[in-house]
Amino acid sequence: MSPRSVMTILKKDFALGPRSTVFLWALVLPLAITLVLQVAFGTLFQPKPRLGIVDEGGSRIAREVRAMEGIRVTAFSGAEALRAAVEANDVDAGIVLPRGFDAAVASGERPRLTFWISGQSYAVNRIVLAVTTIDLLRGLEGKEPPVEVRLAGVGEAGLPMSVRLVPVIVFYALVMAGLFVPGSSLVEEKETGTLKALLVTPARVADVLVAKWLLGVVLASVMSIVTLVLNRALGPNWPEVLVVVAAAAMLSSVLGVVIGAFAPDSQTMFGIVKGSGILLFAPVAFYVFPDWPQWIARLFPLYWIIDPIWRVAVLGGHLPEIVSELAVAAGITAALGVLAGVLGRRMRIQAAAR
Amino acid sequence: MAEVREPAIRVEDLRFSYGEIEAVKGISFEVMPGEILGFLGPNGAGKSTTIKMLIGLLPPQGGRATVLGTDVALDDPGLQARIGVCFEEKNLYLNMTARENLEFFAALYGVKDADVDGALRRVGLADRADDRVKTFSKGMRQRMMIARAFINRPDVLFLDEPTDGLDPVTAAAIRATIKEEAARGAAVLLTTHDMFEADELSDRVAFINEGVIVALDTPENLKIKHGTRAVRVRLRDGDGVAEEVLPLGDEAATKRLAELAASPDLLTIHTEEATLEQIFIKLTGRGLAG
Repeated sequence: MSPRSVMTILKKDFALGPRSTVFLWALVLPLAITLVLQVAFGTLFQPKPRLGIVDEGGSRIAREVRAMEGIRVTAFSGAEALRAAVEANDVDAGIVLPRGFDAAVASGERPRLTFWISGQSYAVNRIVLAVTTIDLLRGLEGKEPPVEVRLAGVGEAGLPMSVRLVPVIVFYALVMAGLFVPGSSLVEEKETGTLKALLVTPARVADVLVAKWLLGVVLASVMSIVTLVLNRALGPNWPEVLVVVAAAAMLSSVLGVVIGAFAPDSQTMFGIVKGSGILLFAPVAFYVFPDWPQWIARLFPLYWIIDPIWRVAVLGGHLPEIVSELAVAAGITAALGVLAGVLGRRMRIQAAAR
Repeated sequence: MAEVREPAIRVEDLRFSYGEIEAVKGISFEVMPGEILGFLGPNGAGKSTTIKMLIGLLPPQGGRATVLGTDVALDDPGLQARIGVCFEEKNLYLNMTARENLEFFAALYGVKDADVDGALRRVGLADRADDRVKTFSKGMRQRMMIARAFINRPDVLFLDEPTDGLDPVTAAAIRATIKEEAARGAAVLLTTHDMFEADELSDRVAFINEGVIVALDTPENLKIKHGTRAVRVRLRDGDGVAEEVLPLGDEAATKRLAELAASPDLLTIHTEEATLEQIFIKLTGRGLAG
């Protein structure tokens, strides 16, 4: 295999991409689905309220608010910096807790508390931050709340539909970019006879297959990340998300190469994808319908790439928790790689016979 | 001491079968650097299979073939960097411009300073360099195929029907370009159905039929060996025209030819040279178009 030939073919495929309908479709579809679902279900991930704090005297309020999972806290060194951040809507609200604030509240004084609210912040975030701050101040004062609040859950327990749809959207990004783009690119080379032209240069079948695979890996990775970002599912563990997305892109792309190497023409390729659609798409249905027996999802090959994305990107898990899933995905990728090699040899003979 | 030149293409007892069907049945030939060998035969004769083995698309199943001293069975990318191929099918990237097509293939061949503009100028497409190939006519695409085959300044050229679909003026220009490549030292294996083209371009021609080379020689030698040496004389005969065919080398015929040449009724005298197609039919019992 020649890295130079691989890069030359890859560069050509990326240059040709914007002139290809399938390539453009791969870029547009996940974005379109995101847009449709955002319209249908509202913002998929409600942003956490962001509170900026200047804590001059080690206030208990600052400690307690930092411990809350539902609020994103950023510390500022001074009131001016905090005010600028609030004005720029970098945080939804900001409070300045002066030195001796806790003691002053506890002794019944009425110290001054600066609480800035960004004009561009969501109303829901303003309410959450204001109520939380007042509640903490009451606690500081040593007073009981005027009412007793009892939480009673209604409706189905679990994640909202908007969150459960994230794997579906990411899956579309992976399948369109990772499977369709390299597969259809390979089939197009066969149909137009350009594959034959490539194979009488120093490029080899392996170079062509690896270039198509990399095309799918890069495009599927980028589109999956873009989709996750648009759905606000790329959290602080983003390096781990990149790892699972790359693993997923590698598997979906090698599947695209296998289908592309096998199918003699576009009609056959789309027939294969349509025919096996239920096998490809079945795993994502289990995230939308969590009541179904989840073990069944494991029978489908693409479960092993969607589940790591679900657990790391959506649920905020970490790589050590999904090592076995990634290992299975790597095994499937390697097996499909071997199959692609075998089909590549057959493809060369077919190209010669055309 | 005289320089001993090695053949650019050497084929010895080459064989290939598609299942039970024997497509190439042990053929042998050589092409020297700077030589144009016309490879002639009807569809299914084994021409394409032979070329596919020589350009590395099919592995030989028997015999041996070397191109530029390298066994084609070794599937050496270094060899393919030194050959140029013009397929009969116009397998270009239609969504790329003419320039992008040539730059891409030059990069694959590892040519760093490819003269893309020069190549396009040579085939008369310099003014369309930045147009997408899908906007080109059939003839323009064929010219692109020629430009692509030449882009790496190959030592061996495999040209399959290189003037197919071209108008006579462009075809003549492409033939001149092929001759230039041969004059530069490239060995050329030319496949064509066009007997006039083969006659005009080829230093030697090989007739292939049913997987076997039935004749291999210069066009002149083939015509002498298999043709008729005669002249056809046309004379005015009252209101009509009379014809006489006189064999050359015959004493009586030579005398008669002298008489006719002096006749006021003489209209034309033509040599009765056999065409390559007639020779092919004579040798194989079938035409080239079949």
